[in-house]
Amino acid sequence: MAAVLRPSRQLNHLRWPEFTHMNSYWDPVQNVEVVRILAGEYYATHRHEMITTVLGSCISVCIRDRIANIGGMNHFMLPMEREGRENSGAHGLSADAAYGSYAMERLVNCILKYGGCRREQLEIKIFGGGRIMNGMADIGLQNIAFIRAYLRTEGLTLAAEDVGGDCPRRMAYFPATGKVLVKRLRNIRNETIVQQETAYLANLRREATQGGEVELFGDFTHGRR
Amino acid sequence: MATILIVDDSASMRQMVEFTLKEAGHQVMVAEDGVMALNLAKGATSDLVITDVNMPNMDGITLIRELRALPAYKFTPILTLTTESTTDKKMEGKDAGATGWIVKPFNPEKLLATVNKVLG
Repeated sequence: MAAVLRPSRQLNHLRWPEFTHMNSYWDPVQNVEVVRILAGEYYATHRHEMITTVLGSCISVCIRDRIANIGGMNHFMLPMEREGRENSGAHGLSADAAYGSYAMERLVNCILKYGGCRREQLEIKIFGGGRIMNGMADIGLQNIAFIRAYLRTEGLTLAAEDVGGDCPRRMAYFPATGKVLVKRLRNIRNETIVQQETAYLANLRREATQGGEVELFGDFTHGRR
Repeated sequence: MATILIVDDSASMRQMVEFTLKEAGHQVMVAEDGVMALNLAKGATSDLVITDVNMPNMDGITLIRELRALPAYKFTPILTLTTESTTDKKMEGKDAGATGWIVKPFNPEKLLATVNKVLG
């Protein structure tokens, strides 16, 4: 039977405003619309869709509200500022914790904003954190350590995980059901993924060092607006 | 040194902001959402409020409106610290009575510089 390719842009109006810019395609095998996310991105939906990504040392966290049928996935790594600096920033905090929390909060907030229940009731699954770069610190392991500590601090329960090892992973997440498909990529060259993650890391360090923008709604030259 | 009320539903964010402000010598009160913050504010004054926007029970924008209705908080600086960065959301915060808008990821140096600026 011939596959029917559907122009996915027609469905963009059904997405939440945060994600209308993202491209998707129709998978005739899984019979589902597919959104592919890259490092630094996240996607959440209330529709029956498949979210895919390829992970090296990065982490993807799949989060789903089982009652509201809203779920999503992110794809991130830590800026690893400690390699070139002290273990902590000027005020005793690493950029790693700040950026990791930010990456998680964007996804959790999005799910809660569009009808999710309390954060303690979310179903969490984590993937990735492989060791794919030789001769460097095990970035994947540090990403795994962060996400486990983060979930403990936030009181979030881990439902499933497939982390570590020395292979990249291709994964697909179905937010409507919570189903995850993971394929360990043993037979492909890691160079492409290493290059992508190295470029992402360089951008990430700039972003994490600068922090988010600040806007004051008044004149504070003399202390009071 | 000032007394600062931190409001965030994320425990890790509360810890990071609390640590940063205490290291700078400030006294800190913490709340997990707008309702808890409002109850704290009714019982004690603070020199500055730093609040998240997206929170359960009562969001940050509603909290700002409620605080501005309290005589003790009518002129207290209120900063948001949030992942929200759209102009619409910022304007909503400004109209509610926010003093400033800080977008995450959280940066300790930037936060302290802003805190010092609004506290004068």
